[in-house]
Amino acid sequence: MSQPLLLRFTFLHRVVHWVVGMTFVVLLLTGLAFSYPSLFWLTTLLGGGPAARVLHPQIGAVFGVGLLVMFVLWVRDMFLDAPDRQWLGAIKHYAAHEHDKVPPAGKYNAGQKLFFWLQSLLGVLFVATGLLLWFPESFGSGLLNTMRLLHFAAALAGGLLLILHVYLGTVAYPGTARGMIDGKVTTAWARLHHPRWSGERVER
Amino acid sequence: MPDTLAIKRISASPSALIPLESLRSGGPVYSKLVDISKCIGCKGCEVACKEWNDLKVEQTSNFGSMQSHKDLSSNTWLLMRFNEVEIGDDLSWMIKKDACLHCEEPGCLFACPAPGAIVQYQNGIVDFNQDQCIGCQNCVSGCPFDIPRFDKETKTVAKCNMCIDRVEVGLEPACVKTCPTNAIQWGIKDDMLALAEKKVETMKRRGYEHAALYNPGGVGGTHMMYVVPHGDRLEDYSLPAHPVASPAPLGGLNVLRRVGSYLLGFGVLSALAHFLAVGPMSPEEDS
Repeated sequence: MSQPLLLRFTFLHRVVHWVVGMTFVVLLLTGLAFSYPSLFWLTTLLGGGPAARVLHPQIGAVFGVGLLVMFVLWVRDMFLDAPDRQWLGAIKHYAAHEHDKVPPAGKYNAGQKLFFWLQSLLGVLFVATGLLLWFPESFGSGLLNTMRLLHFAAALAGGLLLILHVYLGTVAYPGTARGMIDGKVTTAWARLHHPRWSGERVER
Repeated sequence: MPDTLAIKRISASPSALIPLESLRSGGPVYSKLVDISKCIGCKGCEVACKEWNDLKVEQTSNFGSMQSHKDLSSNTWLLMRFNEVEIGDDLSWMIKKDACLHCEEPGCLFACPAPGAIVQYQNGIVDFNQDQCIGCQNCVSGCPFDIPRFDKETKTVAKCNMCIDRVEVGLEPACVKTCPTNAIQWGIKDDMLALAEKKVETMKRRGYEHAALYNPGGVGGTHMMYVVPHGDRLEDYSLPAHPVASPAPLGGLNVLRRVGSYLLGFGVLSALAHFLAVGPMSPEEDS
């Protein structure tokens, strides 16, 4: 029989997630094209080199706004509490899927919370450095070269986070991705991954 | 006759790191030599540059200087700068022929992400190919001499191309051709270096004890060299004392790029390895 479902993400949460997610992927691909000559062909995805160069910062602006909305929507759930610190202490059990040795997580586990803060920090770095690179005539060239270095470093960290995020959200933990599609997860999934959250939900 | 347009480096290609010197060599390597002490400030070179390269004329205005334009632009590839400096009780014009120096190690080319947008020839010329330019202006911040200029209409970057279409057929650049005092000379780089040495000696004999050749090593030397009477006052000529082709942040960026490509690959492989080791974690289906 069909399992009872819990609403994990509202429509607004889902839309913002996918705006940020999809713009980030496009930005990452075009950014890689500008950074690695052998990947320059990726600019074809946006209509060639000049078009990609024009669109990259414009899409970046959408990404920046999306990330800001994301921050506002999610931030109140993202402060670490005492159980979160215990969770972090047991992170190697989490990675090894030793479920019974991992302290129960709330709506978000400590890893997700740290991910959020790291993502927000990188977002600030992306937007600040990206804005200077978008309007290069306003600033000195020495500064711009440093901005290019920081922008690339942020992209590299962001790319690594994306790999982790997509892996954990899809193949590693089946049932997770649905939360970002129709917004729902099964109660069994919630009890397994976010017991304290599912408990709260059941009591209501 | 040796190939005058044999390619040395192409932007965003392997040749940007390892020049194609071993493939073809033996062709002429040229250089301009600008003798500031011989310049009479006629600006004939500016006109010749505009005419030969068919560059748009820009409205100029008197801003209290002998200088014609305030700055270089995508349509003004050559500007004689008349910096006014007091030396002792005397006013001096520290004239600079401001145009691309055609570096042996071109910072613009190293910074360019668009394959083929910047090409360096074995003869020393660094040329921009606007067809391939994506308008990112990385070359502008990559140039230690502040030469390339972005054109807001064409969304591409332009600069002096050393009249490559003249050099190709054995002619000197237009500014050289037109200079009435031979302040700008043109020839094989080694010959120009020997000539510069003589000029420096002559100047020193005449009392300019700091006379010097400007052919900075930080960019591997240039293919437009200057002989300046006041070699101890390079900043007054608007000449950077220690230009470098790849400043520290860009060197760091190149290292990070190399490391980064491996890190991203390692990230994907780690996820795969984790999956193979512990597999997926699904909730029990019975609840």
